[in-house]
Amino acid sequence: MKAATLIVIALAAAALCLPPGGGVAVLSAGTERQPSVHLPWKAAGLTEREAAAHLLNRFAYGPRPGQVDEVVKMGLDRWFERQLAGNLPDPRVTADLRPLPALALPSADIVRTYPNPGEVLREAKKAGAVPQDAEKKSEDPEQRKQTRQAVLRWAAQQGYHPQKELLDQLTAQKLYRAVDSENQLAEVMADFWLNHFNVSLTDNKARPWLLSYERDAIRPHALGRMRELLEATARHPAMLLYLDNAQSTAAANATTTIEDEMERRPMRRGRGRFGVQRPPAAGLQPAAKKQRGVNENYARELMELHTLGVDGGYTQADVIQVARAFTGWTIIPPARREEAERRLARAQRAGGLGFATQGDFLFRADMHDAGAKVVLGKHLPAGRGMEDGEDVLDLLAAHPSTARHLATKLAVRFVSDQPSKALVDHLSTVYLQSGGDVRAMLRAIAESPEFWSRQTVGAKIKSPFELAVSAIRSTGAHVDDPQAAVQWISHMGEPLYAYQAPTGYPDRAEAWVNTGSLLNRMNFGLQFASGRVDGVGLDLPALHGGKEPESRQEALTVYANLLLPGRNLDPVLKQLTPMVTDPGLAQKIDDAAPRREAADGDDDTMMMNEGAARPRAARLAKAGQGGARKGMGNQIRPPRDLHPPTPLEQVVGVILGSPEFQRR
Amino acid sequence: MYSRRMFLKTGGIALFTLGVGPRFLTRAAAAAQAATGGAGARRKVLVTIFQRGAMDGLMAVPTLDDAALRGVRPHLAMTAAKSGGEEAAIDLGTGFGLHPGFNALLPFWKESRLAIVHAVGSPDPTRSHFDAQDYMETGTPGRKGTPSGWLNRAVGLLGHDATPFRAVAMTAAMPRSLYGDQPAIAVTDLADFRVRLPGAQNVAAAAGQGFEALYQQTSQGLLRDTASETFQALDMLKPEQIARYRPANGTVYPESPLGHSMRQIALLVKAGVGLEVAFAESGGWDTHAQQGTVNGTFARQAKDLAGSIEAFWTDLGPDYQDDVLLTTMTEFGRTVRENGSGGTDHGHGSCLFVLGNKVDGGKVHGTFPKGLDSAALYEGRDLPVTTDFRAVFCELAGKHLAIRDDARLFPGWTGHRLPLLHA
Repeated sequence: MKAATLIVIALAAAALCLPPGGGVAVLSAGTERQPSVHLPWKAAGLTEREAAAHLLNRFAYGPRPGQVDEVVKMGLDRWFERQLAGNLPDPRVTADLRPLPALALPSADIVRTYPNPGEVLREAKKAGAVPQDAEKKSEDPEQRKQTRQAVLRWAAQQGYHPQKELLDQLTAQKLYRAVDSENQLAEVMADFWLNHFNVSLTDNKARPWLLSYERDAIRPHALGRMRELLEATARHPAMLLYLDNAQSTAAANATTTIEDEMERRPMRRGRGRFGVQRPPAAGLQPAAKKQRGVNENYARELMELHTLGVDGGYTQADVIQVARAFTGWTIIPPARREEAERRLARAQRAGGLGFATQGDFLFRADMHDAGAKVVLGKHLPAGRGMEDGEDVLDLLAAHPSTARHLATKLAVRFVSDQPSKALVDHLSTVYLQSGGDVRAMLRAIAESPEFWSRQTVGAKIKSPFELAVSAIRSTGAHVDDPQAAVQWISHMGEPLYAYQAPTGYPDRAEAWVNTGSLLNRMNFGLQFASGRVDGVGLDLPALHGGKEPESRQEALTVYANLLLPGRNLDPVLKQLTPMVTDPGLAQKIDDAAPRREAADGDDDTMMMNEGAARPRAARLAKAGQGGARKGMGNQIRPPRDLHPPTPLEQVVGVILGSPEFQRR
Repeated sequence: MYSRRMFLKTGGIALFTLGVGPRFLTRAAAAAQAATGGAGARRKVLVTIFQRGAMDGLMAVPTLDDAALRGVRPHLAMTAAKSGGEEAAIDLGTGFGLHPGFNALLPFWKESRLAIVHAVGSPDPTRSHFDAQDYMETGTPGRKGTPSGWLNRAVGLLGHDATPFRAVAMTAAMPRSLYGDQPAIAVTDLADFRVRLPGAQNVAAAAGQGFEALYQQTSQGLLRDTASETFQALDMLKPEQIARYRPANGTVYPESPLGHSMRQIALLVKAGVGLEVAFAESGGWDTHAQQGTVNGTFARQAKDLAGSIEAFWTDLGPDYQDDVLLTTMTEFGRTVRENGSGGTDHGHGSCLFVLGNKVDGGKVHGTFPKGLDSAALYEGRDLPVTTDFRAVFCELAGKHLAIRDDARLFPGWTGHRLPLLHA
């Protein structure tokens, strides 16, 4: 979408037609006629069930009970086509999300409703609800408590909600959608792109915008085109704040667009309202000269991470030029929106002056460096405004290095940690030929022989999120309250929305599997199966038609096949079968190693001891208490009612914690 | 054939305890030996703290009364303590100051146990966090493909038998520094370090043996090897050891992720489980905006870092301090000139701290440029790197861990160690 079509504001009109999310939420349609898909699983020697399971493990978050057979019945090609279209009705997700009010709010309202605690305190002081020096009295716990309560009371009167509520809704919706959505591929891709264009909730400026970022900038384009994703992320406040572009302005000695504009339109000078000396500071504070300066952060990550890749052939000079091109790309501060709009309207009446707005995005002509630029050898002439950034996005989206970078990342996500050069080459070509069409690339992956080779099946290690979601899906469990599951995911090494660096999580097995995280994966399996992940209900007998297995052997065989459909389970079953035929063996081993049991001690006492011995910081760590803490070893509270695990739960726990279940 | 009732009564636990007989017993014996010092008694420990985000070395350790610095940092430069200003840095008496946030480290400086290396960093020009961290952690600036991290190679060069706790990262995911052939542990909370099933720990113990057998036989090499390490480690560090840990000498650690990490590293040092390399992280150094001076973002991070190190050293006490050498590191420094947002952007050289009883302390090591005018700066804007980080790491790992093969520790590096430790 070219800038010119969107910008040079007609504010009144824009205000009328803005969608609630503030974005251009046009789903790039699955309605385009695509040639029918042909998935070459047969040629690779897979059975149809194996192929269906592989498909569900890679292009979805694992199979639900019975889903492998459903996909076989529907036809694998057809299932994949429907996933590519991504427009299946989703009543379960609609029901899941109904209790989450933030999801329906326009982005600026979210930010106003769930403000940062620091912001609330500042406002409360300004309003006189608490003394100006409130936190200085923090040595006195009683005083501190009173201050806190006064702030909370005041915040509630303003209609503010604790930010934790927002973050809980953010993680809840991610989990609900991944578990329940019919449009699984769209979910997988939303996760992929969010990680690709990572914004972290550890950044408190970006934090309140994250929900809108995913909803308005990522999701509408998850199966769309790279250029759209670039546009949407570049303009979103979450990204503008996370990578500091919102405060990147022309250097003090540079000519801004508005200055340039005034130079060229001397007749307007006489009108007096917008002299060069006092440009209409559309945000609120004028771009004071002392606060001016280019910030390179976004420009660098745009090229290194979002598009070209680190070896993509750009220089530090390009970083500076791109940063200059994006000066003035900033946001309308939600708290001062009305004032900003009033000023913008005035600017508009004065002939536009190069300002532009869309949703929360604001292009400030008084912050943009209007000088000429050269980016990757392309000349951007002087005297322009927002077109500079748009041209850079065009240039980067169409660049062969971007094609290669994305081809590699998608191949790693869907095929294996070391995809062949041939596959990456092929996907790069598809990217360039299709104009950066995500659907075309996904299709090319699914139609590649490499995707279906036996070496590929089960070669990827599930991320903690994939592990938890696939456990919930495969057992047909019902999520009443996602927070304990979300904490487990964090505990296994993937605090959601909280990877601090703009790189996003590395997508390779070594990054997920280490001694500590592997233990947590086993523990998750055991605790999940025995109902110890609070808020997740499961009915294991119901999975098998309400029939309890007659024996350990049967429990194992039946549930391994239910939970790991379409996999060759002979090795796993062979290992465990001797126990069934020789139950005395267990006793022998117990006798041989008595010390181990004793050393583990009585666990209830142990748990209390642990709680007491652990510093408060560890216990404090929970969602919403400052992102940086999310990754810590946070104690996950099991449900109050701890029944001893039934034998069936134990069997299922071991299956879910087994090596086989860690793979996809 | 079992009846359903029979399954419910006798099921479960017995199912999982199979096939682990002989290996389990030998391993337990080895673990017991290691725990009592059989594997080589007390070990030297290298503790590393990675300050992610690139610490502003010129704010941590600024030149004092420097007109050039003040000129380009109108909002960020600090005066010297002796001038008594509000915005005062601690005067180290060497022409350098110390940001007051690091005050907790001052006693170690005065005792000559703390050294600073200034204008240190990577010769690679990158200003990308990702690249620079990667290069510092692999120890091969400019080379992406290096499969191992430098700390992992250090472990491989120790030249003696090691326990599963030889290398521990207090992180949820394995840091790049510890990638490689030598097994390492990444864990955020040692108390979670066991197979757990609240309310049914006997079941968990049995399930643990079941998992052990399953993972031993999986065809997926990474899962198999990692699991093997995991179960060895479990035999060595008993839950009650962790639960009963109390820091010595009245130490109170900062209630922060780093404080929590350092407390656990102290626990591991004192538990005698064979720790030799420890890794912790400190975040929040990427101060692009509103960096602050005596107060603010930087000051908060500095206080947390210094407080965590001070608590760790106090907790170790004289009995263990000789065993331990601690160093900080950060991927690069920040622009000498402040930016338009009250912060600093990605730069080049920074500084680091080294703490240990054999450290040639109370000194600022390295070569600091004669002045901070743009002619003396890297690309006219950044503190230059006059000391390659490998010259420091090689010295520390070389002398403290007795590693001789510098060429294998840092492949492709032909420089020399920077003398920092007394013999």
